[in-house]
Amino acid sequence: MISLKPRSILLISAIFRVGLILFGEWQDTHVEVRYTDVDYLVFSDAASLMASGQSPYKRTTYRYSPLLAFLLIPNSFTSRCWGKFLFSASDLFVGLFIRIILKQRKVPDDLCTYSMLIWLFNPFTFTIGTRGNCEPIVCAMILWIIICLNNGNVVQAAFWYGLIVHFRIYPIIYALPIIIFLDPCFFRSGTKPLLSDWTSDQGKARQINSELTDKCVVSDALKSTFTRSRILFGLISGTVFLLCTGFFFRLYGWEFLHEALLYHLTRTDPRHNFSIYFYHIYLNYERELSVLEKLISFLPQFIVQLVLILCFAKDLVFCFFVQTVAFVAFNKVITAQYFVWFFCLLPLILPWSNMKLKWKGLCCILLWMGAQTHWLLWGYLLEFKGKNVFLQLWMASLLFLAANTFILIVLIRHHNYGPVFRQHTDLKTTKTT
Amino acid sequence: MKSYFENYESLHDSSFEDFMAHQLSSSLCQGIPDNWNVGVRLSVRELSLVGEGSHRHLSSSIRLQIAAASIPKLPAHLCEVIVIQRLPLGVFADPFELQNPHKHKAFRDIAVFGDTNLELPSFQSNRSAVEFHIDAGFNILFMQNNGTEFNLLLPLHARYQPLDESGYSVVEIGEPDMLMRCSVEGKQHKQSCLFMSPPNEKAKSTSATVAWKIPAGMKAHAGFVSVITFVTALLSTLSIVYASMFLSGTKVSKT
Repeated sequence: MISLKPRSILLISAIFRVGLILFGEWQDTHVEVRYTDVDYLVFSDAASLMASGQSPYKRTTYRYSPLLAFLLIPNSFTSRCWGKFLFSASDLFVGLFIRIILKQRKVPDDLCTYSMLIWLFNPFTFTIGTRGNCEPIVCAMILWIIICLNNGNVVQAAFWYGLIVHFRIYPIIYALPIIIFLDPCFFRSGTKPLLSDWTSDQGKARQINSELTDKCVVSDALKSTFTRSRILFGLISGTVFLLCTGFFFRLYGWEFLHEALLYHLTRTDPRHNFSIYFYHIYLNYERELSVLEKLISFLPQFIVQLVLILCFAKDLVFCFFVQTVAFVAFNKVITAQYFVWFFCLLPLILPWSNMKLKWKGLCCILLWMGAQTHWLLWGYLLEFKGKNVFLQLWMASLLFLAANTFILIVLIRHHNYGPVFRQHTDLKTTKTT
Repeated sequence: MKSYFENYESLHDSSFEDFMAHQLSSSLCQGIPDNWNVGVRLSVRELSLVGEGSHRHLSSSIRLQIAAASIPKLPAHLCEVIVIQRLPLGVFADPFELQNPHKHKAFRDIAVFGDTNLELPSFQSNRSAVEFHIDAGFNILFMQNNGTEFNLLLPLHARYQPLDESGYSVVEIGEPDMLMRCSVEGKQHKQSCLFMSPPNEKAKSTSATVAWKIPAGMKAHAGFVSVITFVTALLSTLSIVYASMFLSGTKVSKT
């Protein structure tokens, strides 16, 4: 049993990250292979352009909101590491928010501690922020939205949601589950929703929770679709998104709209990446793909997202997690930084999983890492040895999708699904399988 | 190169050679009244590709030779060697990488002209060229020498190539174009002029190119890759849908 206090964990994590940032600076100066992510150089260049009154989009390959460049303006006049410290601080906030969310559901201290450690000492996640990648900011905002929703604070959740969709488009996939989540049975005017607490049974046998009754689902279906909470959430988040987008469009014009928004919606990259579609895109890049072909490649993503939302929306964090894993796995382009989108949600679902680390959990970890390493080996041969291994690399990406699918199914099977909220008049019945 | 791209939209060998032969002729040192009739010869001693894979370095060794005796009336001057490396369609140089002060401190200036898009495949991009300015020193024309050598190491990256049945695409990189520019303080303003090697020495032989073999996709793969990709996506979709609907802990019951 781990007896470390959360404050100590955060302090050790902070010191570790400061050390990594300083080491990274040394490595960049003395070693051929840089520690700093090439994206960080792009952000910094965009920030210095903005600081001198110019458009950040003069920096080629800057494809983010101007907000990011704005946050990194201090890079130009304080230290070029300012951004890394900011991202690492967000990284620490994610650890803190993980604990807050679990404590909201009365998860015991030891499980909370393990969950924090899974994020804060995951080699993938602590290198992300210290190398200068901005994803920890996104993760922190997503978790803060979850905290606000758990507290029934719809207005604040909506504000941050509008902002995060402007900042990074992918959280738009959470819109429908959030709307479903704002169930009028739980979100009533003037009353804070009641959270379902974690119980010790969660980690044992799987349970089937029968929360949905005739009253809430069937007879009030139409009346409950457009509720105050849902309308408020939609209006506020939509307004924030449009205000931010409109403001930056006014400042930077079509270049902003294309680089920060449209590029991500229409992006297809023929260059090798983890996606199963990369080779198909490359082989067909010289001709225009037909509407049917584009639809066929979009359909799996659409179907999976819809089914996951309809099945799991009431268990919002689990829904976010499975949606994100599926979204990344079926995307036309997959880069390693996307993995952090679901890594930040994984510690939040583990207390509700009856899968043990030994040996099923360990097998899943090894399978995922093995499939990734296998792909990386072929990628290395192609990119750094100049061997034509496109076919093998493509097959490795198929295997990677298969591994992701398998692990997702295993997690679904072992998850104790349960709506986050319970009714004030408690009608919950549980049956152990 | 800036002057070239003010007159032309993209880089073509014929346009560039025409530009060098005609547009720059008025700037040659032989033409100016002080008669800087000095034999300057710039040649490539060695050209090679260093490294493997999609990221390599083009190594060039440039020799500068000054012929004949000193010219007493020639004023004090400062010279720089200008090297223009034209790149073929299949490769590019990263302008941000070339700004790294640690690696390129020997150069007075480096710039990339033409298509600097780092992401597009070769069949959707245009050519580019890299221009180096190297300090040749003060009063170099007074010194008869056997040759000064400058070594250039240019980092290059391969673009995604057009499909090829063989699975590879060969890209050839030729010798760079070289000039020397000397400037002198005139009575009213700074004066500069260019030295270029005589035309008969500029003819490039085929042995003066380096070949880079870059992997390319094979058209023969197109059919089955597309089918298997979509079938795999479909199978994964069906598995996840089945698991979500029938293997998860969700169940709706009516009380």
